[in-house]
Amino acid sequence: MDAARGGEVRAWRSAVPDRGSRLVGAGFWLLFAGGLVLIFLPLVLTVYLSFFDEKLIIFPPRAYTTQWYSEVIPHFASPLLTTLEVAAIAVPGSLLLGVPAGLALVRSDFRGKGAIATLLLAPLTVPLIAVGLAVYLFAVSVEEVTGAPLAGSFYVLVAGHLLVTTPWVVRLVVASLVGYDRSAEEAAASLGARPLTVFRRVTLPAMRQGLIAALLFSFIATFGELEMTLFLISPGMTTLPIALLGYLKYHIDPLIAATTTLQMVLIGSILAFIDRFVIRLGQLVR
Amino acid sequence: MARGARGEQGSARLAGALLGPATVLVLLVLVAPLALLFRYSLDKFDPSQLIIPAVTAENYISFVGSRFYLDILLRTIEVAAVSTALCVVFGAPVAYRLARTTSRYKSAMVLALMLPLFMGATARTVGWMILLSHGGVVNLTLRTLAGHSRFDLMYTPTAVIIGILSFNLPYMVLMLQAVFERIDISLEEAASGLGATPLRAFARVVGPLALPGLSIATILCFILAMNAYATPVLLGGPRFHMMAPQVYVEFASNNNWPLAASVAFVLMATTIALAVLANRLIPDRYRAP
Repeated sequence: MDAARGGEVRAWRSAVPDRGSRLVGAGFWLLFAGGLVLIFLPLVLTVYLSFFDEKLIIFPPRAYTTQWYSEVIPHFASPLLTTLEVAAIAVPGSLLLGVPAGLALVRSDFRGKGAIATLLLAPLTVPLIAVGLAVYLFAVSVEEVTGAPLAGSFYVLVAGHLLVTTPWVVRLVVASLVGYDRSAEEAAASLGARPLTVFRRVTLPAMRQGLIAALLFSFIATFGELEMTLFLISPGMTTLPIALLGYLKYHIDPLIAATTTLQMVLIGSILAFIDRFVIRLGQLVR
Repeated sequence: MARGARGEQGSARLAGALLGPATVLVLLVLVAPLALLFRYSLDKFDPSQLIIPAVTAENYISFVGSRFYLDILLRTIEVAAVSTALCVVFGAPVAYRLARTTSRYKSAMVLALMLPLFMGATARTVGWMILLSHGGVVNLTLRTLAGHSRFDLMYTPTAVIIGILSFNLPYMVLMLQAVFERIDISLEEAASGLGATPLRAFARVVGPLALPGLSIATILCFILAMNAYATPVLLGGPRFHMMAPQVYVEFASNNNWPLAASVAFVLMATTIALAVLANRLIPDRYRAP
């Protein structure tokens, strides 16, 4: 009886917030708001600045304009082209390498599988600045021995980007196959389908979502790669993130804001597409 | 029996064929180059002759013995530690609200957090440069409000910490959101039903359950911060040194490849050592399996 009353009193006390818990509540919302500001304020400002009719950042601007958007592609045409050329090889290439590997990691069982999985995902964890330096020095050494002109070549740049994109493909293919019920495959096999037919008609359609996600994520990974690429470019062969970095060292103006905004729109639409039609992005973080 | 064995052999061969190309790629473009990088870090360097083949720990010894390089390492650790701590402080409330919301726009919110993650550090820094640069938003606001004309955050360690914090925050929020979501809300309801204040319920029930996930998220953010490149270069300016940009400076400006290789290895070794140490400091029962 006493205990029950005690509980009642305590429940009543917690229902009416005292000063201390109000303070805690206020602190919570303050940090919450601060967190959102830290994440989104720079992005919002970038979009805002991209419409300024000024050559520099001057608040408030004389007028607003969309002219900077028409100057983005002419100004960054060459690095953009290189970035897209690299992506055009690295994305399909990483699918060719990563999809079979992901399949084997899920479907087969052998000794050392854990080690292979760790190895294949390692490029996601090794600092890319070290990888870039290492790949460049390796290319120089191979060139010294074989005479093949590798250092600063397009092939080495693409090989480096393949290294960055392939683990994404492996990870997403594994994620799309884990927990997949194999009974449909077994049914197809028992009805007389050959293994390749089973793969083509049953397994592949089941992996469709994972494959599209892998394609798009590997594109995003190669499109934004900066640290490793720093070491693999050569005069006349620069990628977009590096051109942006070089530009930003000396200017901060509406043109760069417009470029960043376009990038935001491109990546935002890719992510929205994945989220809507392929795989709930929330599931990937888990 | 014999067929079974042959079948197993066949499937092992198939697995080998499927895994082979990707494994060769990683061995050829990651493992072999890193091994060679380590070999380079043991060479000597002379400004006129460049690389002199040798097997010496000279680069590492001079790194540890030099005030200049040691300061860069310590500054990197300091910036990474402070930005990661702030990341937890600001990230946890956002993650908690996101995990507990029943809004139909929740997936749009997750999407909004993923967008900055995939934008790349250079693009993300543009906004902070607008805010912090001389004549930028913060500078202008302070000048109007307080009359301070010489308050520049640009090219200060604070600017770099803010930039890295902002860059890593979405990672922290998304990882912690997944952690909080796995904690059954009925546990909190039980705690408050028994009279616990929200803070007490959090400290005694949710906190301990979230600790393993929180520790992983914290360590990952710390690793990212240690390796930051674009943010320190752009917000710290030419006279602010952190480890990852220093690797590039030694390579490109000083042409000292052996030292660049050593700086890269010191960075990797320190990061791994601190991550392992942090994991050891967590009490066993809270450690992630």
